Amino acid sequence: MKAMRSGWVSALCSLVVLTLGMCVDKDPSLPFLGPREVSGGDTLYHTIAPFSFVDQDSLVVTNADFDGRIYVADFFFTSCRTICPVMKTQMLRVYEATKGMTDFLILSHSIDPEWDTVALLHEFAERLGVESKRWHFVTGEKDSIYKIAQTSYFATAMEDKTEPDGFIHSGAFLLVDRGGRIRGKYDGTRKEDVDRLIDDIKRLRRE
Amino acid sequence: MSGHAWILYFALGCVGCSVPDPKLKQYLVEGERLYLQHCSNCHQPDGGGLRRVYPPIAGSDYLDANFKRVICGMKYGMEGEIKVNGVMYNQAMPGVISLTELELAELATYICDKWAKPRGVIEVKDIRPFLDSCARPRPRR
Repeated sequence: MKAMRSGWVSALCSLVVLTLGMCVDKDPSLPFLGPREVSGGDTLYHTIAPFSFVDQDSLVVTNADFDGRIYVADFFFTSCRTICPVMKTQMLRVYEATKGMTDFLILSHSIDPEWDTVALLHEFAERLGVESKRWHFVTGEKDSIYKIAQTSYFATAMEDKTEPDGFIHSGAFLLVDRGGRIRGKYDGTRKEDVDRLIDDIKRLRRE
Repeated sequence: MSGHAWILYFALGCVGCSVPDPKLKQYLVEGERLYLQHCSNCHQPDGGGLRRVYPPIAGSDYLDANFKRVICGMKYGMEGEIKVNGVMYNQAMPGVISLTELELAELATYICDKWAKPRGVIEVKDIRPFLDSCARPRPRR
């Protein structure tokens, strides 16, 4: 009898735990980063400003190419010996993890656009063994790239002759949703951060 | 165990196993530290390189055949095409000009011991003639 009662109690407890578990949102939506405005009853989130760059295939790449798609952006340069190779190693993990996702792209901006010509970016991408249609490496006006890094992606990118490679830049990976809004910022030199990014891409696709 | 037995024990122990040379051990520890600081970003912590962008060091036929050039490259950098294990690479490697002869010896000892033909301790005095004979490429900018 005692055993039976304790059986009932444990069953009841499991039920309560299960119900509570269902109430707690296990998959909360990702935050919106950056300043926001409230106009009327609507909240306007920060979005990526209009841009136009050229990729490794000499194709013009603009916001329109990313409209309705999720993408990850970063800033690097091919001759960088400090954090970029680590970032590229980690971005390759993102590339491999998103194989088959036609609604996902990667956008890598060169912050040394005078050196990183289209031809050089083309060779770099080819040596990395990645497809242009899934991973754009872009170059353009240096000022435009620095400006979009600072004001749209909140990533540091600037020339600094005192640095070993002549630039300072953050190793951030920025996750952008289908509406051009930033939904996550990750340290592209840390494996654990990139694991989280890969999970977040999957979550964002379910939104 | 009596005092004599201890002596016998150690004597046999030293004959029976190869006791790691403390100098080699020190070079390997320092070499690994330098490798992780200056090289592993591109060549990767496991020496495997990155696709066709950065060549591997581990199992590299280039390292064995161009040992002197690699030592020079660590300090003065390398550029132009090179063929490693049948694959062409063409990514300029910036040198680390601040590396001392001792540090180059430690690095070379480490990478050879771990991934190539082990050469034992690469002596500091052997590094100098390498550096004297190698071309120093002009800085990029």
